[in-house]
Amino acid sequence: MSIKYIFLVSRQGKLRLAKWYTTLTPKEKSKTIKEVSQIVLARRPKQCNFIEHRDTKVVYRKYASLYFIAGIDLDDNELLTLEIIHRYVEVLDRSFGNVCELDLIFHFQKAYFILDEMVMAGELQESGKGTVTRVLAQMDEAEDKENAERGWADINLEGVAKTAMLTVQEFKQSFSR
Amino acid sequence: MFEKSLTDLIQGLRANKRNEADYIQKSLEEIQSEVQQSDMYCKSTAIDKLNYLHMLGYDTNWANFNAVEVMASPRFGEKRKGYLAAAQSFHQETDVLMLATNLIRKDLASSNAMEVSVALDGLAQVATPELATDLFDDVAAVLGHSRPFIRKKALVCLYRLVLKHPEGLHALAPQLRERLDDPDPSVVSSAVSVICELARTNPHNYLPLAPRLYQLMNSSTNNWMLIKIVKLFASLTPIEPRLAKKLHGPLSQLICSTSAMSLLYECIHTAVVGDIIGVPLPVTDSVGREIDFAELCARKLVLFYESADHNLRYVGLVTLAQLQARRPELVVNQYETVLKCLDDPDLSIRMRALSVISGMATRRTLDRTVKRLMSQLILSNTIRLQPVASLPSVGTTEYSCKYNGDAADSDLIALATDATGASLVSARGSIVQSRQLTAAGPGPADSPEYRLLVVEAIVDMCTRQSYANLSNFEWYVAVLVDLVYSAGVDVGQLLSEKLLDVTVRVRQVREFSVRLMRQMLSDSQLASRAISGSSAAKVLCTAAYILGEYCSLLPANSEDIALLLPKCLDKLDGEQQATFIQAAIKAYTNWLRDVAGYWSTEIWELVRAVTASTMSQLSDLLLAKTDDNALSGNSAVAELPLQVSSRLRHFVEITKAVSVATSNPSESAPQLCLELHELFTAYELNPVSVAAQGKVPQPDGLDLDSPIGGPIPDTEHIMFPPPPPVSSEPRQRASQSGSGRKQRRGQKNEPFYLDGGDDVRHSHSLAELPDVDDIPVVQLDLGGQGSENATKTRSKKKKTRTKDGAAKRERRRRVQTPSPPLAPVDIAGDEDMPDVSAPLPQPQSQQTSPAQQ
Repeated sequence: MSIKYIFLVSRQGKLRLAKWYTTLTPKEKSKTIKEVSQIVLARRPKQCNFIEHRDTKVVYRKYASLYFIAGIDLDDNELLTLEIIHRYVEVLDRSFGNVCELDLIFHFQKAYFILDEMVMAGELQESGKGTVTRVLAQMDEAEDKENAERGWADINLEGVAKTAMLTVQEFKQSFSR
Repeated sequence: MFEKSLTDLIQGLRANKRNEADYIQKSLEEIQSEVQQSDMYCKSTAIDKLNYLHMLGYDTNWANFNAVEVMASPRFGEKRKGYLAAAQSFHQETDVLMLATNLIRKDLASSNAMEVSVALDGLAQVATPELATDLFDDVAAVLGHSRPFIRKKALVCLYRLVLKHPEGLHALAPQLRERLDDPDPSVVSSAVSVICELARTNPHNYLPLAPRLYQLMNSSTNNWMLIKIVKLFASLTPIEPRLAKKLHGPLSQLICSTSAMSLLYECIHTAVVGDIIGVPLPVTDSVGREIDFAELCARKLVLFYESADHNLRYVGLVTLAQLQARRPELVVNQYETVLKCLDDPDLSIRMRALSVISGMATRRTLDRTVKRLMSQLILSNTIRLQPVASLPSVGTTEYSCKYNGDAADSDLIALATDATGASLVSARGSIVQSRQLTAAGPGPADSPEYRLLVVEAIVDMCTRQSYANLSNFEWYVAVLVDLVYSAGVDVGQLLSEKLLDVTVRVRQVREFSVRLMRQMLSDSQLASRAISGSSAAKVLCTAAYILGEYCSLLPANSEDIALLLPKCLDKLDGEQQATFIQAAIKAYTNWLRDVAGYWSTEIWELVRAVTASTMSQLSDLLLAKTDDNALSGNSAVAELPLQVSSRLRHFVEITKAVSVATSNPSESAPQLCLELHELFTAYELNPVSVAAQGKVPQPDGLDLDSPIGGPIPDTEHIMFPPPPPVSSEPRQRASQSGSGRKQRRGQKNEPFYLDGGDDVRHSHSLAELPDVDDIPVVQLDLGGQGSENATKTRSKKKKTRTKDGAAKRERRRRVQTPSPPLAPVDIAGDEDMPDVSAPLPQPQSQQTSPAQQ
C-alpha cells in the first residue's frame, strides 16, 4: 500500500493535518498540498474518490466538513486505502467520542499520535481498533500522571496547606474529590 | 506562568481572523522568547505551538535545536511533543539531527516501552542516511522486545532505515523471516507488509519465503494481511512460474468466496498481473460448472464496472485494461458496457474507459467508437461550433451525401444532436469555433487533458498496425480534418503528421485528401487563427504541402496559386512560409502545364494575367518587409528568412521566364509552360520503409566499423610539463584534455571556426605519438640553425621534467585508453604539426619509447 502522504483539509482549504512518508523538500510538500487539495475540493459528490496526480494516485474521502486525502503508488490498492482512511476516522471517533473538526483543530497532536499508531512509514502497522486505542490510552495516562505531579511540584504545597490549616495529604485529597 | 497555552493560541487565531498575520507575528515573537527559557514545561508548550504554526505553513526551522532539547526531556509527555515536532518540521538537511543520534539511541534502549515506541515513530519519520547507518543496529536490537507493538514498529522502522541505508538489507532479511513466525498476528502482518514493499524492487531475495507465505495465505482470515500476501505474490510469480500453478487453487477460491471488494480486486489484479490466468487448469464457479480462470476473473470484473459505486467502476476499468493487455478476446464482448462508461460524468472513469475502448478497436467497432468520441468533442460546453452560411464549398456536397447524409440540414442543433461526428466539416464546408461558457460550466469533455487523450486515442485506433482497423481511408481523412476544427487543444503537430502520412502512403485517398486540404486552405476562419506556432498554422502548412505536391490529381485551378500565397503568410515562421511558397510554385507550374494542353488566345491572355498578378503578389511579399524596415529604420532586425527569400526569388525568376516566353501571342503553347512542372515531378516521392536500408546489400570490402583516421594525438604534456604528482591528478587531467580535444575536433568541422594559433598548437602531444621514430618528418633535413635553437629550448625544459617524468608518464598512460597505432598521416600532422615535431631531438623519442613498451 505504501502511502506517500496523508493530509486533512477543511472544506475551506485549510490544512488540518499533514503527514509525509516520503522524503520531500518543504517546497515540494506545500506545492503538492496546494495542487491536490485544489483538485479534491473541486470534485463533486457523485464522482469517484480517486484522482491521478502526477505519479501518484490520490485517494480521498469526505467526512462532514473534512477531506481525508492520501497519496499512494499507481499500482496500489485504492479500495484498501479507502478502508485505511475509514479505519482512521473510526479510531478518531472512538478516542474523541464523536469527533468533529474542532476536536482535530484543538487536539491536533492527538490526531497525529493516533495516526502514528496506525500507519508508520507508509505501512498500515495496526488494523485492530482495540490495540490502537489501548496503546494510546496508556500513553495519555502516562502524560496525565506527569502533568498531575508537575502541578503539585510547582506550587509550594507546604505553605499553601499551612494557610489552609490542612496536612498536605488532606489538601491533595480535597482536590481529587 | 502567564504564557499562552496551545488552546489560547488557537482560540486567539480564530478570534483574529482579520489580522491573522499580525497575530501570528506577535505569537512567534513570544514563542521565540519562551523556547529560550530553562523551564521545560514552558519550552515544550512553545514547541507545541510552533507545531501548529508549522502546519499553517510558517517556517519554524529556527527552533529545531529547541525541539531536540524537548526530545531529551525526561518526561514522556514532553518527549512526545519534541518527537512530533521533529517528525513534522525536520528534513534531510536539518543539521541538528546529528545531535539527536545519541538521544534516539538512549530512548531506543529505554526500559519504558512507550519511550521506545515514540523514538521508533520519530526515527522512521526523520531518518537520514547518516542516522540510518548509525542507529540500524540499535533498532534491530529492539526486534526482540517483549511487547508486540514495539516489535512491529521496529520492523517497519527498519524498513524505512533500509531505504536510506541499503547495506542493512542483509541483516534485515533473516529477521523478517523470523518475524513471519511471530506469535502476535499484527507483527506477522507488519512483516508481510515490509516484505511486500521490499519485494517490489528485488523479488529474488524473498522467493525462499514463499512456502511460509503460502501457508499464511491459506490459514489467515485477516483481510488486511491477505491483501498484502496476494500483492506480494504478484511480484513473486513473474520470476518463479511454478508459483502460478500453486496459487491457482487458493486464489480462485478466494475470488469465489470473499465478500470484501478490496480483497477481490487485489486477487483479480494479482491473477492478471502475475499471469495466473494463464495456468491451463479449470476452476469451479459458484454454480459448480468448470470454467477457465481468466473467464472467472472477467465475470467477477463485471461486478465492478457495472456497479453503481463510482469507485468500484473505476478500479474495475483499471483491471479490465490489464486483463485486456493479456487476453484481449475476453474483453471484446464488454464493448457496450465500456462504451457506456465513456459518458460517465467523472473524468477519472472516462479516462480509464477511454484507454480500454481504444484497445478494443476493431474494424467493426471503429466507426462507432470514433463517432461517439467525436460527438463528445463537439458537444462540449466550451467549444461551440457554428456552421458558416456562405462559404465557397469546393465539391463538398457529394461527400457530405456519401459520408454524412443525415447531417445535411442547416440546423446546428439537429446536427449536433445527431452526433454523427465525423465529416461535419465536409458536410458544412466549414465550421466556426467560438468559445462560450454556458451556465452549466465546463463538463468533463471540456478538460484539455481529456480532449487531448481523445484525439490521441482516435488517431491511435485508426493508425494502429499500419491502418489495420481502417476500411475507409476517405472517412479517416475526413475525421482528421474534423479534428482540426473540433479538437480545441494543441494537436496540430500530430494531426498534420497523420494527414501527411495517410496521403503519402495511401495512393487512393490522395485525390480526396487534396480536395479537403484545398477546402481547409480556403477557410478564412481557420486562416485567421494561423499564427506562428499555433495548431492551425501547422495543419495549414501541411495542407499547403499536400495541395502543392498532389495538385495534378485535381483539375488545375489558377485560384490555387493565390490560395497558397495567403495574407496570413507573414504571421507564420520561416519554414512554414517556405513550404507555402514552394507549394505555390508547384501549383503554378502545374496550372501552366494544364492550360498548355488546350492553348488558345484566351488562354494566352489568361496566362499573362495570372502570371502578372502572381508576380505582383510575390514582389509585394518581397518588398513588404523592406518597406517596413525603411519606415522603422531598422533593417538589420526584420529580414525575410533566408529560405523564404530564396524561394521567393526562384518563383519570381520562373514567372519572369514565363512572361518572356509568352510575350507574343502564339498559336501553340510555349515549350516552357509544358515542361516547367517537370521540375517537380521528374521523380516521384515515395514513402520509404524504416527498414529499407537493411535491404541494400553491403558491398565487399566495405568496413563500416573501423574509424576513418585516428584520434588527434595530444601534445599537451610535451609543451606543458604536468604539475607535481597528486594521486588523483593524472586521471583528471587525462579526462579533461580528452573532452577538450573532442570539443576542438567538433569545432574544426564548423565552417566559422577559426583554427586558432597557440592554443591548439600546444594541445597536441608528441609524447602520445606511438611511433615517433616512424614519422618521416624526422628525417627531413631542415638545415642547421632552426633545429639547434629548438634543441636548446627543449633541453632546458627537459631538465625540469626528467625527475618524476617517467613514473608520471606511465601512470598517465595507464588511465588513457589504448588507441590503435597511428599511421603518421596528415590528420596528426596538419598544418601545425611539422614545426613542433621537426626539431624533435633524438633523446626525446628514446625517452618515450620504453614507457610505451
